[in-house]
Amino acid sequence: MQHALLVEHLSKRYADHTAVDDLSLAVPTGTIFGILGPNGAGKSTTIRMVMNIIVRDAGRVLLLGCDPEHDREVLRRVGYLPEERGLYRKMRVVDVIVFFARLKGVDAPTARREGERWIERMGLGEWRNARVETLSKGMQQKVQFITTVVHGPDLLILDEPASGLDPVNQEVLRDTILETRARGQTVVFSTHNMAQAEELCDHVCIIAAGRKVLDGRLREVKRANRTGRYRFVFDDPPPGMEELLLRDARLGAPVRAGDAWETELEPHQDPAELLAALAALPAPLARFERVEPSLHEIFVARVGDAARPHRRPEHAGA
Amino acid sequence: MLIVLQREFMERVRSRGFVLTTVLLPLFVGALTMLPAMVGTGGGERRVVVVDRAPAGLGELVVRTLARPAAPGQPDAYTFRVERVAAPLDEVRAGLNRRVLAEEIDAYVYLPPDLVAANRVEYRARNVSNLQVERDVRRAVSLAVQTARLGAAGLDVEQVAALLRPVEIHTARITEAGEEEGSAAASFFLGYVLGFMVYMLVILYGINVMRSVLEEKTNRIVEVIVSSMKATHLMAGKILGVGAVALLQVAIWAVLGTVASRHSGGLMSRLGLPADALSTAGVDPWVLASAAGFFLLGFLLYAALFAAVGAAVNSEQEAQQFQTVALLPLIAPMIFITQVISDPLGRTATTLGLIPFTAPVTMPMRMASAVVPAWQVAMSLAGTLAAVVLVSWIAGKIYRIGILSTGKKPSLRELGHWLRAA
Repeated sequence: MQHALLVEHLSKRYADHTAVDDLSLAVPTGTIFGILGPNGAGKSTTIRMVMNIIVRDAGRVLLLGCDPEHDREVLRRVGYLPEERGLYRKMRVVDVIVFFARLKGVDAPTARREGERWIERMGLGEWRNARVETLSKGMQQKVQFITTVVHGPDLLILDEPASGLDPVNQEVLRDTILETRARGQTVVFSTHNMAQAEELCDHVCIIAAGRKVLDGRLREVKRANRTGRYRFVFDDPPPGMEELLLRDARLGAPVRAGDAWETELEPHQDPAELLAALAALPAPLARFERVEPSLHEIFVARVGDAARPHRRPEHAGA
Repeated sequence: MLIVLQREFMERVRSRGFVLTTVLLPLFVGALTMLPAMVGTGGGERRVVVVDRAPAGLGELVVRTLARPAAPGQPDAYTFRVERVAAPLDEVRAGLNRRVLAEEIDAYVYLPPDLVAANRVEYRARNVSNLQVERDVRRAVSLAVQTARLGAAGLDVEQVAALLRPVEIHTARITEAGEEEGSAAASFFLGYVLGFMVYMLVILYGINVMRSVLEEKTNRIVEVIVSSMKATHLMAGKILGVGAVALLQVAIWAVLGTVASRHSGGLMSRLGLPADALSTAGVDPWVLASAAGFFLLGFLLYAALFAAVGAAVNSEQEAQQFQTVALLPLIAPMIFITQVISDPLGRTATTLGLIPFTAPVTMPMRMASAVVPAWQVAMSLAGTLAAVVLVSWIAGKIYRIGILSTGKKPSLRELGHWLRAA
């Protein structure tokens, strides 16, 4: 199976607005896929339609090769972390985990064994028999995360997994996501934290106002959104280097960025000329590179104000 | 579905609340019924002064009658210590009043000289609302006066009493099996207990179902669950799980009840009921079985209703309004409880027994106190069963949509849309 998740022309309309508009996604198996977008972009609505929690108006969903609307069994091979978290407050930690694993068709002994393993792994060992309501928020998040993965799903769908996590637990989450991919499983998660997406994702898809803005491999997305910005660094620049740089017309108008300098080339300008000009300067050039835009910059540039025309949907979060 | 059922069951049975209600509710109900018998109105000694200005012999007779020890089987009767004063009332009144206020005596009664003709005495007490003391005094004086009148007519009191002895009624119900002993009081009591139990349990566990639905909805746990199973299966598992808890609780109570009834003879007689009123031995097993059947159907009916309510609203506060409406048909038979139990074959009882929503509470009450025609039982059961199916079907639809909708409380019209959409 080439794609763990395939979404084609998915739409969801409510009485007064369109939450998701003709959205298509292709998530290759064994990758980490980020759905990015501002609040109200339709991320959660999309995920809920994929999980068959809300009914789609139009389009096609293939989850691990099956349409969840007709073949509900496939949902058992998916681990879903909803955006709004909640557990049975009165239940004991280990019982909650076993309950959710069994709901997904895992037999009781296996569920117990796997649950214990995850509890140890997440450092919740001494809390295994505590009631959920007595745990701290961070620990509850961990328990919730365990309920998502305990049945060994082939595909993890996480809606804003990092929200409400402290830095230490974000680290745990990151590691788990990376391990999941290492096992050949697929992770789809939504976020509006660009730094996190940049760090983790193989593929990204940016949506705004229910429509896809761009998608593709992270590397390709970055390349496609490159600007004419170049960065260069000198070894041991002599005093007066700054005036020299600013006076040289061939360098455009360089801007200092820490140890480095950055300059913007017009599309018709040849970077080779820039390099030649830099090489001629009286200090050894240590580095010369084209600046890749950060995901954050791409996001801001592409989404910008375009994300605002629709009001926040009633049924979905982000 | 079994997993949901199991979770609902285990979590409830394990909870402290379950243990508490299982133990405390019977104690509470028991205490409530026994309390009047224990503290009671009866028993104790009352000191009464008889100011006797009546013709000779009358006063003595009053004193003798009052002072006579209470008849056995009347544990709530008083024993009287009577003091007879022969002075005129005006002379002793102030002193007696003072003694009443000082709680040296409880009451005094003045027998005037023209007692037989006037047919009237004066009774003074600190607490004139104690009807029982007054009743005993009235009875004693009446007996004395009647004796005097009968004597004047040349009749002997004993003779007349023998002639006027009331006829005893031997009560028995006619059932399919033949005649069945048992007093009206006992079957009244049983009907009351059965009806009340069904009523309490249906409310208790119906609301339990609603809470559970609401918890999953507000916590969004339901999103994860319905992505692994059908919403209607979740609802069914929930209702059956809670139902199993209810059955377990009833079973525990039944065992406790049987044990308790072995030792309850004394208490029952203090209540003025036959010793076996509580014991299941004297009860038609058919009545108990159909009470259980009606309880189950009633629970299913209201649990489905409550599940839909829980799914449609967003908070406990919102649930309260819907809840009250849903409970009305259940409360109705309790309002008519006296009519139903005292005239179990009458029109009110029959009507309430045939309406599916009121039948679960009404029928056990009726069947405990009368032989309800079999066709009515069958029709009532069938009607309730049909209602269960219909209500579950509708509730399932509301549940399926409601459980995933948040935001404002749906109007009735929106509920209608949900029904068509689902």
